[in-house]
Amino acid sequence: MLSLLDKWVQENNELANNFKLPEAQEATSPDQNRTNLRQSCSEFHKLLRKIQGIPPDAGHAELELSVVYNASVCFIAQSQIVEAELLLQQATERVLQMTGDDPDTSDPLVLWRTVLKSVRKTAFHHHVLYLLSLQWAIWLTNSYLKTIRDFQEEISALLETLSGKVGDDCRNETKAKFPDVPKLITDPRRLVELLQICTIITQGAERLSEGWSSEVLSDLQAASTLPAARALVAYTHLLSGACLAHMNRPQMALQCYKTALETDSHCVCALYQSILIYRQLKNSQAEIQTLRILHSILLLPSSSEPAMAGTHLLSPSLFLRSQSLSSLLSVPSALSVLHSLALKCVLHSRASEGVEHYLDLLAALHSEDQHRIGAKTMTDTQVHAEVSTLPKLPRLYLEAGAALLMAQRPADCMALCSEVISTTQDLLPQKVVLDESETNAAATEDVKEEGEGGLAMFLWTAAAYLLQGHCFTHMKDWKQAVTHYTRCINLLVKVHYKNKVAGFQTQIPSADTDVQQGGDFCILQRLKGLSFAGRGISFTQMDRMKEALRDLQHSLQVLPEGVGAGLWCGEVLWRLSRRCDAAACWEKTWSLPTQPLTE
Amino acid sequence: KAGKQRVSQISPEKQRALFSQATYVWRYGCLKHKRDPVRVFPRAEPNTDLCSKTYCIRKVAAQVDIVKCKCAIDVRRRVRTPCILVTKKRGDRFHYILLTLSSSNQLEPRIKFKPPYQMKGDVCILQGPTVLWRHEDSVFYTSLRAEGVRKIPMEMSHCLFGELSFYKGQVFVLGLQKPSDQSAKQSTSPTLGYFLEDGQVFDGTVVLPHPYLCITQCMLALSSEREGGVLKCAVIAATSHKQLVYFENGVARDACQLPYDHVEGLQVVNTGRNGCLFVVLFKRGDVCAVWKETFQVCPNSQVCLLHVDDFLGCGTDQMLLLFRDQGVARRPADKFLITDLCGISFSCGQASEALKTTPSPQENYLLTLQALESRLQSGLIVLQDLQRDVSVKEGVIQQSVQVLTDVLSGRETQLTQPATGVSLSLLTETGQSSAPAVIQTQSQAFWLPACRPSTPPLSSSSSSTSAFAFSQPAAKRSRQHVASDDPRARRLAVTAMTKLAPLLTSGCVKCCVMLHYTRGADALSPVSKRAPVVLHCGQVAVDIHSVFQKPLLKNPLIKTDEVREDLLSLLTVLDRWVLHIDSPDYSLGDMDGWIQKRAGCQKVEVSPQYLLLDSPEPSAAMLLHWHQITPFQGELSIHSSQLQMLRFLDSLRAFLPASCAVRPVKSARSRSTAQTLALALENEVLSLRKCAASLAREREEGDEGRAGPEEPPEPGSVEGLRRCREAWRRDVERSRTRLSALVDVGKYREMIRIVSDVQTDGDLAALLYAQRTLFS
Repeated sequence: MLSLLDKWVQENNELANNFKLPEAQEATSPDQNRTNLRQSCSEFHKLLRKIQGIPPDAGHAELELSVVYNASVCFIAQSQIVEAELLLQQATERVLQMTGDDPDTSDPLVLWRTVLKSVRKTAFHHHVLYLLSLQWAIWLTNSYLKTIRDFQEEISALLETLSGKVGDDCRNETKAKFPDVPKLITDPRRLVELLQICTIITQGAERLSEGWSSEVLSDLQAASTLPAARALVAYTHLLSGACLAHMNRPQMALQCYKTALETDSHCVCALYQSILIYRQLKNSQAEIQTLRILHSILLLPSSSEPAMAGTHLLSPSLFLRSQSLSSLLSVPSALSVLHSLALKCVLHSRASEGVEHYLDLLAALHSEDQHRIGAKTMTDTQVHAEVSTLPKLPRLYLEAGAALLMAQRPADCMALCSEVISTTQDLLPQKVVLDESETNAAATEDVKEEGEGGLAMFLWTAAAYLLQGHCFTHMKDWKQAVTHYTRCINLLVKVHYKNKVAGFQTQIPSADTDVQQGGDFCILQRLKGLSFAGRGISFTQMDRMKEALRDLQHSLQVLPEGVGAGLWCGEVLWRLSRRCDAAACWEKTWSLPTQPLTE
Repeated sequence: KAGKQRVSQISPEKQRALFSQATYVWRYGCLKHKRDPVRVFPRAEPNTDLCSKTYCIRKVAAQVDIVKCKCAIDVRRRVRTPCILVTKKRGDRFHYILLTLSSSNQLEPRIKFKPPYQMKGDVCILQGPTVLWRHEDSVFYTSLRAEGVRKIPMEMSHCLFGELSFYKGQVFVLGLQKPSDQSAKQSTSPTLGYFLEDGQVFDGTVVLPHPYLCITQCMLALSSEREGGVLKCAVIAATSHKQLVYFENGVARDACQLPYDHVEGLQVVNTGRNGCLFVVLFKRGDVCAVWKETFQVCPNSQVCLLHVDDFLGCGTDQMLLLFRDQGVARRPADKFLITDLCGISFSCGQASEALKTTPSPQENYLLTLQALESRLQSGLIVLQDLQRDVSVKEGVIQQSVQVLTDVLSGRETQLTQPATGVSLSLLTETGQSSAPAVIQTQSQAFWLPACRPSTPPLSSSSSSTSAFAFSQPAAKRSRQHVASDDPRARRLAVTAMTKLAPLLTSGCVKCCVMLHYTRGADALSPVSKRAPVVLHCGQVAVDIHSVFQKPLLKNPLIKTDEVREDLLSLLTVLDRWVLHIDSPDYSLGDMDGWIQKRAGCQKVEVSPQYLLLDSPEPSAAMLLHWHQITPFQGELSIHSSQLQMLRFLDSLRAFLPASCAVRPVKSARSRSTAQTLALALENEVLSLRKCAASLAREREEGDEGRAGPEEPPEPGSVEGLRRCREAWRRDVERSRTRLSALVDVGKYREMIRIVSDVQTDGDLAALLYAQRTLFS
């Protein structure tokens, strides 16, 4: 009997050693590791089958539970959760047979409680706790956070027992110098530590999304001192930052993000979150700077490598599967970041810098043809889900064109605009109906769906003409400018409204918020206003005052807050010797809040 | 059984004839299942003319009950023959008859026995034919050779029957020894084996490990041999846990889950090059096959009967599966399948008629070849066995020769000269001073009786070292033996004494041990003048800890000056190691908490950053100080003996993450920043004083030069008073000039440069100190 047990222990230890051997060599490929894992898994399972083939006996419970542990760890590492859970269930039933208790239930929670109660005084109490920690791992993988909360008391006891092990006890388990101690392939204490911090992180993210930020914060800050992998410690700081951001403490949040980044330089999501904070604080200088850093980090090949994978059998990504967490951990692709950077530069009077970024972006898109696919660099990590926010190519062209114009490079701008016009011209529909009866959000969605054709094409082409008009204005070629403004206006009047809503002006977005949010109706109004104003100004330059006045008044009617149009309207009125009207017009214009304009 | 007939071409008619014998067994098996012999026996198929002819049926058909049917080897006739054990009740007595089927298809009674009870539970028919059964913890058997019912001379609480394939002692019984037996408690294994033929008892665990014995439903030995009296065998067993387990020499090698419960029989199918199959027959008529190599299961249900033989005559085994047919029970051989699950499949009456094949002549050649090949291989195995035997014998001979040679060539022991006038010196390490200082003042030598026949002189010094530590040297007691003992059989103990002061000042002293002795008069060198010999015996470390016994810091929780003093003395006396712990990937967690959770750990209240680890042994106290720098790094100061420190580090290593780097901080850095600052400040003060003094002295020298030598004033006289006054006035004058002395510019600048250099060092130390104290 003794020799049978010894041989099984030996077999288990050989398997465990074999398993650790290739792990130690760094040269092994992930493929090889996977094969090794699969093989170990079946071997452990086979051994377990042999051990469970004899009646349950408390004398070799330690061995049996160790093999269950090893086999289950292998299964979990391969994401074979169902198999692992089955093993655990069988093991608990056998434990109850050993202790002579009756498992009169199939409810796993009640079963576990019965088992824990019945083994409290036995020698294999710790081994049962190891299995409980695996059950915890399974719950966490399945995101059964409620179950974990229900089991909080038992889990705290588990933590207390396993992490409190000191001295000789601890040494025996981890080193297993003695051949008769069954080896475990993962240190249970490390596993428990991993589960603890992962649970806090996942729970924190979930509860944060439910709005319990202040309660979560204390948990997270306590968790940041727990022993854990660097990346996970960084996540606790990141989540604390997110909590503080929710609680309207942006500066403290920034501090937390900084700590996260200091803790783990791979934690780029902290950088991204701080960008969002800067955006919220309207600190555009800092935002631009951070965007620049983020972009350069994302371009580094090593940034995509998760710091924690590969070192352990059970990767933390197995246990961080919450939806709200992955949205927090997501980072846009390098190209999206570059686009935001370019746009920010242009919007904050750094046109020439913005132009450079736009040109880089367009070059990258052309050379790699990565549009829509986005940068592939981050796809290997599950945790770092990617956000693709890159707009469509014509839009990028137009933005780049506007930037070029602002940087005093009208010729380049015109080239880009002609590019847009040539691609969209054939696809332009005869007329477009804009249904504004729906709510703003719904309209936006509609547009998104039919954005491939229809309205988007219209808007792009119109904007391209408008920009070309601006370019000619810039070059003081008034006649050409009038031609292009006219083309723009002709295009815009083809859009028909349905259920026109009054009072849309109040919803016209300011330039700082994303243009898309305002809905296409506002964009349309804007384009109209600007093109009329442009043509009016061109007419003024050509001394065709009547037409100028008509256009400028049209413009003001469509876009009452247009400062340029207002000023020029006053000018034209002045020249037409309508001094009082001119003064009134100017006065009215000056009273308007000044707004920078882009597209 | 007609299994030895080789049939190459199989027609259904031939097939029918071939299986006719098997059919008997099948039929009886069927009857047995139905458990209703009274009705079934007369209904047996009439055209075979069997039942009417048999002895038992004719006589007592109405009362006969079939106990067991099985094929077993008839040792006398050397054939495998179907055996049927029937019972009939006569009043309270039970008569048992074992019937066998003769070659002429006749059932004949072979053994009759009348036990005074009804056999219950498992009855087994094994080769012989031998009938075995268990009754009330005893195992009985009967066979043609045994002549009557025999009882196995031991009691077993649980037992299994089996047969092995070597020439002698084939049938065995495995059983759990009754725990009531006193001798059984002492033996390591409660599992016993017993050979029926020679009554030999062996350890049952070589066949089946203990826990399996109670759960095994069916067991089959695959191979067995005896090597040097040790039984080696391979066994498969079907357990009540729905498993088929393969054992090699009592070790479970493999196991697989069976699809059904209640195993009735196990058989082996040797399919030649395709490996071995185990066929498992279940009570409810299901069958499954298990590949030996992979232990993969291939189930098949609704089977009435299974036979294994070389039906096709191709040199390997096939299975014959007879399928249950609900409607036509009278034509049992209509539906069958012959297969080895790899290549050969011959079916009849099955849905898949397409499987029916007739082997072509070419296939016949192939089959012949395969048969020849398998014979060749078995021959080869025998040859290899013989070769192994030869090599084992050679090994034994060589070993015996070696042993004999060793016995013959014994070594002679070297005897050394006895020494007289022994004394020992302890010299402190060179390097502290040019000549080693002798710290020994006195030494005494004692003779000790030796345990070994001879002792080289070196060991005498080593014994002296150990004697040094004893408070009461053991040598004293043995002094009286000196005179009587043979000088060869003596060891020497030398006790040296020294002063405590050098040990106290330097903590641990490493001493060179020098042995001074004078050779006694001997025959070899009568002319020699007994010159004293000095022998260097190595080094001995004398530690302060072995001197200081009283435990310090008994109660660290109180805040008194005494405790403070104890702490400081402990810090001074204990060795100190400062370890920098850096864990780049994994944060360290709560180190302080971990240390405090260790047994016997207490916080020192007078200085709470120190944790005291007390242990029952005196002088094993340990002071720990953890200073966390970041969550991933920290410094641990350990004040303890080296052994303690290593012990602590060992457990610490288990606590720390695997990727953690622990390195000792260099001694220069191990000095605390406070100490560095203090030293720097001291240095600053000293150099300032030195520089200022040298400047002042230079100027004074100039003054003194002019003043000339001064006579001591005569006290009491006017002149003396005047001169005293003069001197006092001069002193005042001098001190005034000294206070605002004029010094040389070059010298002054030099002084300022030196002082500012020293001050920079001081500033640096202060900065470091401030950093450590402010940010910790």
